[in-house]
Amino acid sequence: MPPTRLLIVDDEASLREPLADYLSRQGFAVCEARDAAAAREQLAAGELPDLVLLDIMMPGEDGLSLCRHLAERGVPTILLTARSEPLDRIVGLEIGADDYVAKPFEPRELVARIRSVLRRSERGSPGEVAEDGDRLYEFEGWLLDPLKQRLTDPEGTLVPISTAEFRLLVAFCDHPRQVLDRDRLLDMVQGREAQLFDRAVDNQVSRLRRKIEADSRNPHFIQTVRGGGYRFGCAVTRRARRPGE
Amino acid sequence: MTRLVPRSLLGQVMLALAAALLVAQGVAAALLYRAADQRREIAIVNAAAVQLIGQGGRPPARERIERRRLAAGLPYRRELSEQRLPRMLRFETSAVSPLLPGERRDVGREAALRAVLSGQGEPPAELVVTERLASADPLVRALVARRPALRERMADAGRLRIVVAGMRREGETRWQIARVPRPPGLPALLPGIVLQTVLLFAALFGLMYLLLRRITRPLAALAERTDRFANTAASLPPLVPSGPDDVSRLIAAHNAMEGRIGAMLDEKDVMLGAIGHDLKTPLAALRVRVEDVADPAARSRTAATIEDIARTLDDILALARVGRRDAAPERTDLAALVAAVAEEFEDMGAPVTLHQGERLVAPVHVTWLKRGLRNLVENAVRYGGTAEVTLTREGTDAVLRVADRGPGIPEDRIAAMLEPFARGEASRNRETGGAGLGLALARAVADKHGGGLALANRPGGGLIAELRIPL
Repeated sequence: MPPTRLLIVDDEASLREPLADYLSRQGFAVCEARDAAAAREQLAAGELPDLVLLDIMMPGEDGLSLCRHLAERGVPTILLTARSEPLDRIVGLEIGADDYVAKPFEPRELVARIRSVLRRSERGSPGEVAEDGDRLYEFEGWLLDPLKQRLTDPEGTLVPISTAEFRLLVAFCDHPRQVLDRDRLLDMVQGREAQLFDRAVDNQVSRLRRKIEADSRNPHFIQTVRGGGYRFGCAVTRRARRPGE
Repeated sequence: MTRLVPRSLLGQVMLALAAALLVAQGVAAALLYRAADQRREIAIVNAAAVQLIGQGGRPPARERIERRRLAAGLPYRRELSEQRLPRMLRFETSAVSPLLPGERRDVGREAALRAVLSGQGEPPAELVVTERLASADPLVRALVARRPALRERMADAGRLRIVVAGMRREGETRWQIARVPRPPGLPALLPGIVLQTVLLFAALFGLMYLLLRRITRPLAALAERTDRFANTAASLPPLVPSGPDDVSRLIAAHNAMEGRIGAMLDEKDVMLGAIGHDLKTPLAALRVRVEDVADPAARSRTAATIEDIARTLDDILALARVGRRDAAPERTDLAALVAAVAEEFEDMGAPVTLHQGERLVAPVHVTWLKRGLRNLVENAVRYGGTAEVTLTREGTDAVLRVADRGPGIPEDRIAAMLEPFARGEASRNRETGGAGLGLALARAVADKHGGGLALANRPGGGLIAELRIPL
């Protein structure tokens, strides 16, 4: 199997070069580009890389517009950014990036995320942002926004949930009224930050219940199936985002 | 009492104006009254003198005719007037002084009349002046008794006061007596003064109101604008300078200041972005290079240091950004938010317990509030070993309480702890402390929500941090 090809686009040589070295040692075939123009040249000249690591703030064409270009060509992208505002994250994911890493990052975490994104794109099930990603889940008045990771109750009140709980809920919404055993759930929520899912699924389920169930001892939404796992007990519809949502 | 005093510029100036006008009108009225009184006195004295001298001791022909007509029972042809007494009443001769028993002599008028008479070359041998009600005058009574038709009129005219002056010339035995009506004093003047005052008030008030409104309107607009700018620093189109020069200059100055503050805020945002970018990228490079360090202990220590720097940098950037204009707060389930924060710590193995009662919903900035609460829990865990997080409703506030069983803080240090870069221990030991921004940031977050942060030592040891958010 040929090594995975990565392209690093960052104007800072001081970061780009050691990162390229590090990723090479991790077994990737790494190319570098110092700005968006150079990256476009490389993309036009040779084969498409398997994944692009892209700095957002660069002189000349910025990372976001290159990211859009890459998304159109079906190249998975992970954004590297110096800012850590949630807004940037949403913008990045909205225009088709597959993940988002804030500087300074732990190199091993970056590798884990690269692998996770590659795994998803190989399986042909690109994450939440792919074609279906901009459709909202609706169940009994509750609204789950996969892009913005927002859950609101029937009164429109925001209910903050963690990334792990969010993934779990998406998994349930994708398979309403089906019994999902723990392994299946773990597999489905296995996402970018693998370490978040080391704990038992049960723990995440009980936390999620605390936030969305009126009575978590007698759950309405996430029901326990004896010996089997869990079942999302209500119908889920998906609909397009309305303007301003 | 203070509620009766208007608080606006317009009201206060109007009130002061009304008070000043009242005093001025009072003084003017008093002077006017005195002048009118003097004029009246002079007129009375002169009229009496003219009658006493002019008649030359004999009633004029008309008077005698009238007298005869009266004696013959014929109707009297002139009416009693307030201004002039009927001719027949004006002059009389008598063998005795006109002073009735019990009446007082009017010394002031006597002196004035004597002076006038002497000036005319008719110095009296004896002079008596008094004032009485017309209805008490014997001559008037005789007249009315003879003419019942007059009785009704007398009911009105009876309240008229007349001045009676008697003069005996040198060498004569008979008294010559003159009667002069005394016109009513104040009551006749009063309506004039009141009318004048009302007109003056109306004119001055109208003008002052227009003038003041020209001043206060732009001032009110400016006050509202400043208030809004102070609260939100929202950038709005500049206020159009209006009103008098002083006010319009003030507005122009405010516009300039707002512009500069806005530019500085924008500059700050750009600068913070640049700092973030310029420091975080080399930090990221350093973090990657650390992986090359062969010694695992040194590697993990260096990595931890880099993480510390990055966290401090994040705190500084957050503290600088917390007051910035950003998205509107959003109605949020606080119980879920508190649980989410507590669970983050549970995941890291920190001993955090959570007690919460009812579900509380408040408009908050989720990212900021999470950050503030996270800092409080982190402090509790770091200095107190454990954290007990409670969410309760107190009146119109949601209260997020984080309690620990640590050493607490000396009472006199509590206020200082909320300042940036303050830490419990004097030493800046990285083992136990961050950069000392945690509480300052939590307080800034509370302020941003219109709430507050309070620290208190816990009975039995430990510290309680209380973050209040209005519901």
